[in-house]
Amino acid sequence: MKQVFQLPPWAISTESTLYNKTGSWRNYRPVYRNRIPPCNNACPSGEKIQQYIDILNQEEGLYKAWKLLTQDNPFPAVCGRVCFHPCENSCNRSDYDEPINIHTIERFIGDIGLNEGFKWRLPRVNKKYKIAIIGAGPAGLSCAYHLRRRGYQSTIFEADNKLGGLLSQGIPSYRLPQDIVQAEIARIIKSDVKIHSNTAIGNEYDFDKLLKEYKTVFIAIGAHKEKKLGIPGAEHPSVIPALEFLYQLCAGKRVKIGQRVGIIGGGNSALDAARSVLRLGKKPIVIYRRTENEMPAILDEIQEAKEEQIEFVFLAAPERIIIRNNKIVSLECIKMKLGQADKTGRRQPIPIKGSDFKVGVDTIIPAIGEEVDTSFIPGSFLKVLDDTVSTNYEGVFAGGDAVTGPKTVVDAIGAGKKAAHLIHCYLRQVCLPVGASEKPVVFEDLNTAYFEHETRIPSGKLPLSSRLKTFAEVYQGYEKPQLKQECSRCFSCGVCNKCDNCFVFCPDMSVNKRAGKYEFDYDYCKGCGVCVLECPRNAIGLVQEER
Amino acid sequence: MKEVMSGNHAVSYGAMLSRAQVIAAYPITPQTQIVEMLSEFCRTGRLKAKFIKVESEHSALAACIGASIAGARAFTATSAQGLALMHELIHWAANGRMPIVMADVNRSMAPGWSIWTDQNDSLSQRDTGWLQFYCESNQEVIDTIIQGYKIAETVLLPVMVVLDAFVLSHTSEGVDIPEQKLVDKFLPPYKPQYKMDLNQTLAFGALVTPDYNFELKYQIQEAMEYSLTLARKVDKEFKRFSGRNYGLIEPYRCARAEIILVTSGTITSTAREVIDNLRKQGEKIGLLKIRMFRPFPAQEVIEALEDCKKVAVIDRNIGYGVGGILCQEIKSAFCNNARRPEIFGYITGIGGRDVTPDTIMEIVIDVRKNNKADNRIKYVGLRKLR
Repeated sequence: MKQVFQLPPWAISTESTLYNKTGSWRNYRPVYRNRIPPCNNACPSGEKIQQYIDILNQEEGLYKAWKLLTQDNPFPAVCGRVCFHPCENSCNRSDYDEPINIHTIERFIGDIGLNEGFKWRLPRVNKKYKIAIIGAGPAGLSCAYHLRRRGYQSTIFEADNKLGGLLSQGIPSYRLPQDIVQAEIARIIKSDVKIHSNTAIGNEYDFDKLLKEYKTVFIAIGAHKEKKLGIPGAEHPSVIPALEFLYQLCAGKRVKIGQRVGIIGGGNSALDAARSVLRLGKKPIVIYRRTENEMPAILDEIQEAKEEQIEFVFLAAPERIIIRNNKIVSLECIKMKLGQADKTGRRQPIPIKGSDFKVGVDTIIPAIGEEVDTSFIPGSFLKVLDDTVSTNYEGVFAGGDAVTGPKTVVDAIGAGKKAAHLIHCYLRQVCLPVGASEKPVVFEDLNTAYFEHETRIPSGKLPLSSRLKTFAEVYQGYEKPQLKQECSRCFSCGVCNKCDNCFVFCPDMSVNKRAGKYEFDYDYCKGCGVCVLECPRNAIGLVQEER
Repeated sequence: MKEVMSGNHAVSYGAMLSRAQVIAAYPITPQTQIVEMLSEFCRTGRLKAKFIKVESEHSALAACIGASIAGARAFTATSAQGLALMHELIHWAANGRMPIVMADVNRSMAPGWSIWTDQNDSLSQRDTGWLQFYCESNQEVIDTIIQGYKIAETVLLPVMVVLDAFVLSHTSEGVDIPEQKLVDKFLPPYKPQYKMDLNQTLAFGALVTPDYNFELKYQIQEAMEYSLTLARKVDKEFKRFSGRNYGLIEPYRCARAEIILVTSGTITSTAREVIDNLRKQGEKIGLLKIRMFRPFPAQEVIEALEDCKKVAVIDRNIGYGVGGILCQEIKSAFCNNARRPEIFGYITGIGGRDVTPDTIMEIVIDVRKNNKADNRIKYVGLRKLR
């Protein structure tokens, strides 16, 4: 076949088209920029949740995941059990199907760390600095750990003989087994932290003396002082404050209670007490002055209590305790209705006149909240500066429930971490940012076309029948296959997890992969933005070119 | 080795013997069995090919084009709406000089929805630069697929092998399967001059200015013309190892015929019987089978028909607004020829309506009584309306 000129059979160029640098056509430039996933943003102790889930997804090993997780929180096995997981409430997957079961993943990593005896590699201790921490609760221990990570040794003063504060004194073992708590605490102590237990400041050790000796003090004494019920009959010995009741149970002591126990309050302590009463074979009745919607207890625990068929009396406030023959026979209550929302956004209960009624009980456990006992501290040390843990007294820091009033374990851990950070800044006279505040990724930022609907994998759980008579742990956690399956559901919001979409979809082949990372070839990228749209997780942004 | 198989499976065997390396197709009745069997061949390892599942016929042909640019022998199969959906890429494959072979099982275009045969689907692709062969038997199908690759890879144009829905696709006949060794000798591996290669800088299908595009299109026509000669040569070569050949067209009992019927596809074998009967009765009648439709072998057609008095072209298709498409082609072939028979155009069998020996006889009777042809379309087997 003869050919007309020297033409190839069709439009084939034997020259390279690389001379044509189409990048000059660009108005917008795509950039890889990881954003803050909502889970990380919501975590009070700043866990890099998306990142440790990604480590598990990339099969880079449980140790690596544990190491990353414990950089921010030395209590993963504890938090995996009792944290109220704001991470899950903020999880973008909730808008798609169900949130990632982060706390069960965290628990798995925490348990593996304990079972395998994972260890931290910490810097050598700098003996130049002396730091005292008052209180071996989650805030104090977290602070000690985070200081140790920075090379500081601290000395913890604890009034009780047991370490852990609320963790070992106030949470029943069906939610949080003591061996788990003690193992995670022991790991911190073993990393070279000094402990003085049975040493209450004010009694055994004077606060002024402490301050002179240590120069730097972190006050993390928690909130233990039970609020008074303040109604007639409240002084009766069968009125047992919730924290005391739980403390005795945690200490393995028998507590004398009757057959029908009225628990007053709607927080976690109230539910902990009610569920413990049930397990002791008695009948608990929870009396709360608002409705279920306003209960401050975490949702999971409310669900559990309902599953266990605990009786609730909502919209009722105690008026007086009726005692006959020196025994409690009933609790007189008044009916309430909900009025306007207060500062906290909760609707205020208003008594309905003449609506008195009686609840037949023989024991009463008030769980109406705790206060801080600062009686041992002279002056106003606990005046904490806005949004920090620094006080108005040089070298004295304070955090946790002692400052905020009763909050959660993870808030306390976060406060300890923050304190360690600020103590470091104070001692070295440096100013380091606590963390950039950026807008976290929201659901609308994602391209969900690349995600299948998959239901959340629940944690293993004891059957109802076998959990009513024992304090055995209700939740059993994950096995490895479930862990893997649940981790694979993570959207990895705002953070590249090497899904290859940009690489595959770039019509100009201007995405290069080098050493496992993507790079744009700006010589040829026309800025069409396909990569931005196709990135399922919003890890690519568009920036206007300057002319 | 002889085996009883359907026309569809004859296509699958043809593609397997040709050692197609990439198969991409989307299922559509009446084609589906073709790729079903090919996927089975791939699964069992009988055929070492990449079977690409796609979401549409458009993607199927696109995948074949990609494979072909990369130097692979590609195969696909489709019908009716599927072929229509491929239309953009039908042009692309030809203009890109891709030696792809496709089987099209003729199926009436919808609506009204139909799975039965007529030729409008493939004939509406006649000007795209694809070679087209219309097959009469299952044996011809398997042989034409193999021949198709040989022709395609020489002239660098795609080939469409066409067979009637059900009449051929789902009807079983004895088929002699050529020996693989012999096919391999006849059809060596595809070695393109240009292919996508990571070690060589080439850009494919880029912008072409008016300075060159005319010539590129001209080259396609030139290749089309050359493929007439080549197809004849390949057909003869095929006979040397298989004992079978078909020609571009096949005159049947045309010696001293006064009337010649022109057919394509399976109507041919029905017509053969009618011709045999009439010849027995002494009638001077013959048959011309058009096997190759693109490029149209005009000269061969003229030579086969110019000595007779009347030609009856039987079309199982309608070029709306004109008439039978085959008829138009034959009329235009004779346009500048000095000797010209009367050319009658018949349309029958649309939408898969049966074309029986009686249908053919009706046409013969009509041709016999008319001496002068005009441009009016004659319909056979059309139900009287109103």
